[in-house]
Amino acid sequence: MHPILSALKHHKTTVVLVALEIALTCAIVTNALFLIGNRLAAMRVPTGVADNELVWARTTGLDLGQGTRPGGDSAADMAALRGMPGVESVASANSLPLSQNYMSVGAWRRPGDKKDALDNVVEYTGTPGMLRTLGIKLSAGRDFLPQEYVPYDPNRIGGGVKTPPPRVVIVTHTLAEALWPGENPLGKIFWLDSEGKEPVQVVGVTDHLLNPRITRYQGADRNMILPVTRVSGGVYVLRVKPGMRGAVKLAIPKVLQGIDPARMVQAEVYTDTIADYYHGDRAMVWVLLVVTGCLLALTALGVVGLSSFWVQQRTRQIGIRRAIGATRRDILRYFQIENLLIVTLGIVLGSLSAVGLNLWLMQHYELARMPLAWLASGAVVLWLLGQLAVLGPALRAAAVPPVVATRTI
Amino acid sequence: MLDYYLRLALSRCRQNVPMVLLLVLTMAVGIAACMTAMTIFRALSGAPLPGVSPHLYVATMDAREAVDQDSPDYKRPDSLLKLADAKALVDAHRAVQQVAVAQSLTQIGQPDGSQSAQAYGLMAYGPALQAFGVPLRYGRPWTEAEQASNAPVIVIDTEVAQKLFGTKNAVGRSVMLGRHRFRVIGVSAPWHPRVQMFDVQHDQGTVMGQAMMFFVPAQASLDAGVGPFLAGECGKDAAVASFQSTQVAQCRWMEAWVRLDTPAQLDAYGPFLAGYANAQHDAGRFVYPPQAKLYGTQAWLALNHVVPDDVHLNMMLAGGFLLLCLVNVAGLLAARFLRRQGDVAIRRALGASKRDVFVQHLVETGLLGLIGGVLALPLTWLGLWIVRMQPVSYAAAAQFSAGVFVILFGLSVGVGLLVGILPAWRVCRLPPALQIKLA
Repeated sequence: MHPILSALKHHKTTVVLVALEIALTCAIVTNALFLIGNRLAAMRVPTGVADNELVWARTTGLDLGQGTRPGGDSAADMAALRGMPGVESVASANSLPLSQNYMSVGAWRRPGDKKDALDNVVEYTGTPGMLRTLGIKLSAGRDFLPQEYVPYDPNRIGGGVKTPPPRVVIVTHTLAEALWPGENPLGKIFWLDSEGKEPVQVVGVTDHLLNPRITRYQGADRNMILPVTRVSGGVYVLRVKPGMRGAVKLAIPKVLQGIDPARMVQAEVYTDTIADYYHGDRAMVWVLLVVTGCLLALTALGVVGLSSFWVQQRTRQIGIRRAIGATRRDILRYFQIENLLIVTLGIVLGSLSAVGLNLWLMQHYELARMPLAWLASGAVVLWLLGQLAVLGPALRAAAVPPVVATRTI
Repeated sequence: MLDYYLRLALSRCRQNVPMVLLLVLTMAVGIAACMTAMTIFRALSGAPLPGVSPHLYVATMDAREAVDQDSPDYKRPDSLLKLADAKALVDAHRAVQQVAVAQSLTQIGQPDGSQSAQAYGLMAYGPALQAFGVPLRYGRPWTEAEQASNAPVIVIDTEVAQKLFGTKNAVGRSVMLGRHRFRVIGVSAPWHPRVQMFDVQHDQGTVMGQAMMFFVPAQASLDAGVGPFLAGECGKDAAVASFQSTQVAQCRWMEAWVRLDTPAQLDAYGPFLAGYANAQHDAGRFVYPPQAKLYGTQAWLALNHVVPDDVHLNMMLAGGFLLLCLVNVAGLLAARFLRRQGDVAIRRALGASKRDVFVQHLVETGLLGLIGGVLALPLTWLGLWIVRMQPVSYAAAAQFSAGVFVILFGLSVGVGLLVGILPAWRVCRLPPALQIKLA
């Protein structure tokens, strides 16, 4: 057996402890890095609207299915909001990206054929000027024409005449690909409503518009925009000069309560809404980063401590080896190889537990399978860490003079 | 003997201060991380209403009255009921107590409009205060007769009373709620569930229980133009949540909570609930098989992930972190003890038993653990402070308490002893003769 291995056999306790430490760090750090990567990737996805120029407000009176005075109260509200200083344009929409409230419907490729329908498509509705106000950019096609906005109310309840959806729609690239993979969606028709009998024609495509909430069923940006004259239960969206957002937000309740003093008003700067949506992720990323850093530091310290101990313990043996002809480089190599062996043992154990941990997390949380590349990067990090940690003690070992062999401690 | 071991341990600690610092700091950081995560976990995992919510159950059923092509499956239990169904369940009086509630957010003001306060509250059908164990400071809850006649009566909490009237005892005064004048018949102590328990299916993102500052009979409140915070489900899957709508006749917006004290009562109520729901289905009102089911409060909160997954994840991370700290410290301790094999050999040769040596080393590690615990105290406090500064929904749960202190103390001594076992066992294993030879 190689002398390094047989020497290790005499230190089973410490070898096992160091390997365990490396294994634990490997398992936790690879999974933590994977989680961080996932969350950062999710947070970096753009919303598809002009984040830094929007303020939104909602108020009582924009009621579900009240619909007795189509466009009545909200027209007055919007006129008042347009008159505010700093406000460039106002529209109302049923929801905004990352604002949590969403409605999803089915999109039918063939009229009335449920088998050929796509479920869980998020539906945005907006009043004239919605695209311009939100800053949604079209990659193909055109914005809605004034006559295309219709009094469609998907939330309408009870009696009265049921109004059909608009005849035109703007879809995201993702929805177009889901409906007609690889084809040009412009001019194509799909069908809406619970019976799948109402045709809508695609007049525009936007590359990207995030859903109000990113879920497993609805995905991140599979949605469509419908032109309506009035939105029930939605929000007013204001395009505001970036520097005026705070002032506008504070002034909105007064403006709207000036029209009806008894109502409740909520106003928010849109970037705060986005920050709110991601605050949990951001906090988690910080926790994971700090924990990863601490774990690596601790492991390094542990390796330094134990290597130092071994060097001290073996000073005499090192002296003997030097006396019978080993060079400084040989001694240095010895400790470096020893460290490499122990760390490798730890990484093997750690990679197995990392995969196990990932599988367990997948079962209990909505988490993807970790690509094996993450394991490799974790291994590289730990090998480097081990070598860095052992360098100091190993250099000290290499500096032991041969004369030590002749002394007794 | 213990006294001697302690003095021995202290003098040894002084010999190699950097090493000792590394050991105790490692333990302190591990303990502090674990305590921070555990404090939050404990605050969020307990019963929302201690002593009350363990007996509370929420009724769920597929109560949709129209075919929904977009989502025909009943993917997860739904607690929202129409007012009519909620009334029927409450009026049946088949549980110890029963109440249907919905949350509301509105302005409560003095009749002359001079003072007003924005307040969260519960709209209820049934004895809400009794069923949820809300403590009353003054006055009384509303009676069945008042509820039946839609009398404008309200119970407010002491904070609203203080703000509006300058006194906590506001019984007999009047407040404006929406368009109507309501008579204050009772004043409750400030009350909130420890963890959010109402409307948890829709109000995602709220973890800490909202303080409920008024309680009002549902119909009287609707009559006055004040509706629920969320209009609930009004026809389609995932309807747009409207805000304070009173147009809720077509909506499912109330949750029915029942109190059942014994397993026998629970066994009896399940079939009653299923019977009611099935009867509605048979009569053609509910279009889908209702699959009615009762959920205990804890099970309901767990099902709806009220406590964010991140809290569990943090707890596991902190546990893993502490484990790593322990392995690390155990390794360093093993090195530290083995370095002193000479001393041990001499003690063994002078007649100390293996047990004596083992205990002596455990005392030393226990002491180190205790020092680690003392250092962990400010670190835990710091960790909780950092969490409180975060804009996370559970920030308010990060409070230092006496219970935390006790657990921290126990944990640190436990950690100290645990990490010492392996190294201490290792050091007392070699026979004395060999140890002297080695030395």
